[in-house]
Amino acid sequence: MALNPIKKFKNKQILSRLKNRDKQAFIKIYDENVAEIHRFVYFKIGKREEANDLTSIIFLKTWNYIQNKTLEDAKTLRSLLYKIARTSIIDYYRETGNKITVSLDNEERPIDVIDEAQSPSERLDQEANLSLIKKLMPKLKEEYRELIIMKFINDLSIEEIADISGKSNGSIRVTLHRALSALKELVEKEGKL
Amino acid sequence: MTDQELIAKLNSLKKLGPDKNWLESNRALLLSQISNSGAVDLPAWKIFLIDFSSSMKAISQPAYALGIFVMLLLSGSLFSQQILAKAKPNDSLYIARVISEKVKINTTFNPEERDKLAVQFASEHAQDISAVLADPAFNTEANKDQVAKLNDSFKQEVNTVKNHIGRLAAAPKAAPASAVAGTNTDDVMIAENSKDEQGIKLMEKSDIALAPDVKEATGTVKSLVEKASVKDEATSTDKTTVDEGATTSLEKASSTPDAAVNNPSAADKILDEATQLFNQKDYTKAVDKLKEVDEIIK
Repeated sequence: MALNPIKKFKNKQILSRLKNRDKQAFIKIYDENVAEIHRFVYFKIGKREEANDLTSIIFLKTWNYIQNKTLEDAKTLRSLLYKIARTSIIDYYRETGNKITVSLDNEERPIDVIDEAQSPSERLDQEANLSLIKKLMPKLKEEYRELIIMKFINDLSIEEIADISGKSNGSIRVTLHRALSALKELVEKEGKL
Repeated sequence: MTDQELIAKLNSLKKLGPDKNWLESNRALLLSQISNSGAVDLPAWKIFLIDFSSSMKAISQPAYALGIFVMLLLSGSLFSQQILAKAKPNDSLYIARVISEKVKINTTFNPEERDKLAVQFASEHAQDISAVLADPAFNTEANKDQVAKLNDSFKQEVNTVKNHIGRLAAAPKAAPASAVAGTNTDDVMIAENSKDEQGIKLMEKSDIALAPDVKEATGTVKSLVEKASVKDEATSTDKTTVDEGATTSLEKASSTPDAAVNNPSAADKILDEATQLFNQKDYTKAVDKLKEVDEIIK
C-alpha cells in the first residue's frame, strides 16, 4: 500500500530537522528504529555482540549520510536505515571472511534479547519459536532469510522491501512465497526427525 | 504446519529486542559522537521554522494543494452562507444573499416546498427592511432615496408573500388531480360545482389563488380532465394518492370548505395590518406582525 500522506509529511519534517543537525531528531529516529534494525542485523549475522556494534555503526552512517548527501526526495528514513544496514552487513561479511554458517548463538551463550512485557507462557512460546528459527534460518539462502526477516519479523510492507532491495513488488512477492515454502519444508523435515 | 502457523511463529519474534541497558548506553555513545560532528540542540523557534518550511514545501505538492483548496472552498462556502444570511438590505452583500436564495428556490423541486421557501425568504426580507428603516441612523433625510426604494421593496415582498400563500392554499387541491391525471400542474383546471348545480364551472388555477369566492364551494373539489373516467378516480383516490398534508387539507375541504383558505385570508389580513403599521412608520410592530405570518405558515 502507498505510504500514508501524513507519514510522508512527518518523514520529510524529521529529515529536514536532521539535515539541520538536530540532536533531538536523531534521538527520535534512534528510539523508533533501533529495536528493528538490531533484530534485522541479529537474525542476519547470528551474533549478539556483533549485532550491537553493527547497529551503532548503522546509525552513525545514517547520520553522516544525511549530512553529506542531498536527500531531497528520501523515500523513508526506515528504508534508508535498512539500505545502510544491508551494505554494512556486506562489509562485515567481507571483513570476517565468511557468511553465517552456524546457528544463531549457542546454548552456552544464550541470547539476551528479551521482551520484559511478556507473560511466562508467552515467553515459553517465544523461546520455542526462537529456538526453531535459530536452527533453521542459517540453512536458508541469504536472500530468503533477508526477506523473511523484513516481512514476517519486522513487518515491512512489500513496497518498502522493494524500495530497500531495488526490486519490483512482483518479484518480491514471488521470492517471498518461495522463501516461506523453503522454510516450511525445513520445519516439516525437522518435525519428522 | 500451515503457512499461517509458520507466519504466526515468525511474527511472535518481532517482540524481541536488544537489552535496555545496552540501548541507553548506546544512545549516549552515539549522541556524543554526533555532537563531535556538529549536532546541536536546536531552539524551539528554529524547529518551528524548519517544520513550517517543510510544510510549505509539502503544500506546494499538487495533491496537498488540491486538498487544501477543497477544504478552503468548503469552509468558505459554509462561512459565506452564514455571512450572507446576516446581510441586511443596506449591505453590499444583500444582492448575493438574494441570489443565493433564488438559487435555493429554483433548485427545490417540490412546488409546495418552493412556495414555503419563497414565503419564508420574502417575509425575512420584509422584516429586515423594517428593521433597517427602524434604525434612526439610517432613516435620515440624506438617505431618502434609499428609504424610498426600501419602502417599495417592502411592498413587493409583502405581495410576494401573499401570492405564495395563495398558491400554498391552492396547491393541495390542485396537486392530486394533476398527479392522477398526468397533466401539467400549471395547466390544471379546477372544476367546482356551483350551488345550484348548473353544470360545471371552469376556473383556472390562478383564479383560485386570487378568488376568495372559491371558499363558497360546498361540494368536493373535482378535477376536470379530458378523460371522464379519470375524474371519478381522482375523487375516490384523492385521499390515497396524495401526501398527508394534502389529504388533511382535502378532508378539511370536504367537511369545512372554508378551512383550506382560512389561513391564507388570515395571513392576508395580518399582512395588510403589517403594511399599515409600516406606512405609519411603526416598524417594530410591523416586524412582529410579519413574524405572526411565519407562525401561521409553519
